[in-house]
Amino acid sequence: MVLGTYKEIVSARATDKQIQKVSQDGGIVTGLLAFALEEKIIEGAVVAGPGKELWKPEPMVAMTADEIIAAAGTKYTFSPNVMMLKKAVRQYGIEKLGTVAIPCQTMGIRKMQSYPFGVRFLADKIKLLIGIYCMENFPFASLETFVSEKMGISTDLVEKMDIGKGKLWVYTQDDVLSIPLKETHGYEQSGCNVCLDYVAELGDVSTGSVGSPDGWSTVITRTDGGDTIFKQAIDAGIFETKDMADVKPGLGLLEKLSAQKKEKNQKTIDKRKEMGLPVPF
Amino acid sequence: MSERIVISPTSRQEGHAELVMEVDDEGIVTKGRYFSITPVRGLEKIVTGKAPETAPVMVQRICGVCPIPHTLASVEAMDDSLDIEVPKAGRLLRELTLMAHDINSHAIHHFLIAADFVPENLMATAINSVSEIRKNAQYVVDMVAGEGIHPSDVRIGGMADNISELARKKLYTRLKQLKPKVDQHVELMIGLIADKDLPKGLGVHGQPTLASAKIYGDRTQFDLDRFTEVMPESWYDDADIAKRACSTIPLYDGVNVEVGPRARASVFGGFKDTGVVAQHVARAYEMKTALSRAIAILDELDTSAPTLADFDVTGTNKLGIGAIEGPRGLDVHMAQVANGKTQFYSALVPTTWNIPTMGPATEGFHHEFGPHVIRAYDPCLSCATHVMVVDDEDSSVIKNEIIRI
Repeated sequence: MVLGTYKEIVSARATDKQIQKVSQDGGIVTGLLAFALEEKIIEGAVVAGPGKELWKPEPMVAMTADEIIAAAGTKYTFSPNVMMLKKAVRQYGIEKLGTVAIPCQTMGIRKMQSYPFGVRFLADKIKLLIGIYCMENFPFASLETFVSEKMGISTDLVEKMDIGKGKLWVYTQDDVLSIPLKETHGYEQSGCNVCLDYVAELGDVSTGSVGSPDGWSTVITRTDGGDTIFKQAIDAGIFETKDMADVKPGLGLLEKLSAQKKEKNQKTIDKRKEMGLPVPF
Repeated sequence: MSERIVISPTSRQEGHAELVMEVDDEGIVTKGRYFSITPVRGLEKIVTGKAPETAPVMVQRICGVCPIPHTLASVEAMDDSLDIEVPKAGRLLRELTLMAHDINSHAIHHFLIAADFVPENLMATAINSVSEIRKNAQYVVDMVAGEGIHPSDVRIGGMADNISELARKKLYTRLKQLKPKVDQHVELMIGLIADKDLPKGLGVHGQPTLASAKIYGDRTQFDLDRFTEVMPESWYDDADIAKRACSTIPLYDGVNVEVGPRARASVFGGFKDTGVVAQHVARAYEMKTALSRAIAILDELDTSAPTLADFDVTGTNKLGIGAIEGPRGLDVHMAQVANGKTQFYSALVPTTWNIPTMGPATEGFHHEFGPHVIRAYDPCLSCATHVMVVDDEDSSVIKNEIIRI
């Protein structure tokens, strides 16, 4: 299946105005982690928190809703959240843990749960794994190149970054700049070219903007645990939802992009195999 | 007519050792010799010439029974060599790690001696009690030091991280809840050991005790000038045993000593009893002392305070000493760092101190009590091994010198 195994797909957004203001799209990750924390479904979450440099996130263990909200918004470079999971269940004392991860990290976490070498007593403590859609991810130096070289402004001025409609968008206080996505090609991390997962197929819940209107996200619930928590949050009024059939551009776009990633990267994999190079699958 | 009783390897202990007892017509031990036959690994050599941070990571693998004391003694030796002042919260967390480990290690020993003292109808109770205590103690080490067996977060300069307020409260609650369980366990074990009615005076010897502190350890109480080390050749009056023994003989003020819970209790707690039963009693009570201290640390700990000092690894070749009171006794690691590399490393470990004392402690009683005497020391041999080069073909000694573990 092009979207992986799932229970349900809906379009949703957080009802909280504060979350809407800081979130990338529908505020699903922020809203769901904050809800799980307040309902004591989790005791803390590893999130991509603000780092020393603007737009260079660092993994952070959030133990309050405020800390989760402070980490809201997409950063288009990696935050090694997986690294922080062990510390979260050790020194932070968290026995019920949530986290947010891009597809490759999601795969890593699931593998780590199956083969817990060096991470004893961690597997059973991950209660909520939210995966986010990802076509590719950029090293921080690439982001700096896009913003300061291609768009010609300092990264310090950037208030929000976004990818959509074939472009990388940068919002400043009084300007909106963009470059076509094809100009970013070649700047992604090389591993992205052999990744077949667009929609975080191993998450408890996966989410991203694609398929839903602006300000909304497409949410895929995949596991019993993920489905239950998301439904509880809807019942509690944390999220409002719409049927995917009723929204534009709709599920078709998500399926198309997922299929494109698989097809394109499978070619890279096949080519590497032909050349006798290693592939991760 | 004198006969020789050999127990090889001695059982229900860590590592491999041999107990050789000469007995008279009545079976009474007239001469006891105990020695390590665990092969040498060379860890002290491995860490030499490498970055100082390598040492704690490597030497904790000397043994899976007391990795915590070795890690702590190693970082303490490095701290001393590099003149590092460890922040208070770092010191408290190190101590907490050791207290939890002491409880765990003593509980394991109770499992090892269960077959000696626990009647069948109480066996399940005793073993469940051991398991319950260990589970909680190891949880503390996991949380504070990163891993229960080989802790990743005990570092030169302190500890990698402080614990969160949530973790502090959880550990505090858990250990408070563990207290009645430990009290009950200690009572049970002491009662059963008394019920065994071992002969009065069993295991009593005339050697002094050596301890640096009641808990944790204190390098200022270990005087290197009073320490000497001799080869087994000049210690064992039996050529064959001297040849096969793999540990050196450490002496303090020129004589062999006893280290461990009873030694600590006698030096710092006014504990007067001696012999096998006294050793078991002192060990059991130490579980209560360690638990009380762990609870007090969790009460006192400032979870927002720094735990790791800034330091420079260049070093001045100062001989650093780390003295840790491990479950089995004083564990001293010595290190010298210069030019950012470890120049010298030596580990002087608990059971090594006890080895020359343990054999003679079997004397004067029937040889059947020999194993009781040995187990009362909770010996752990793998770290004690320090010696020699043997021929691969016939295991004969080809070069006789101290090899660093």
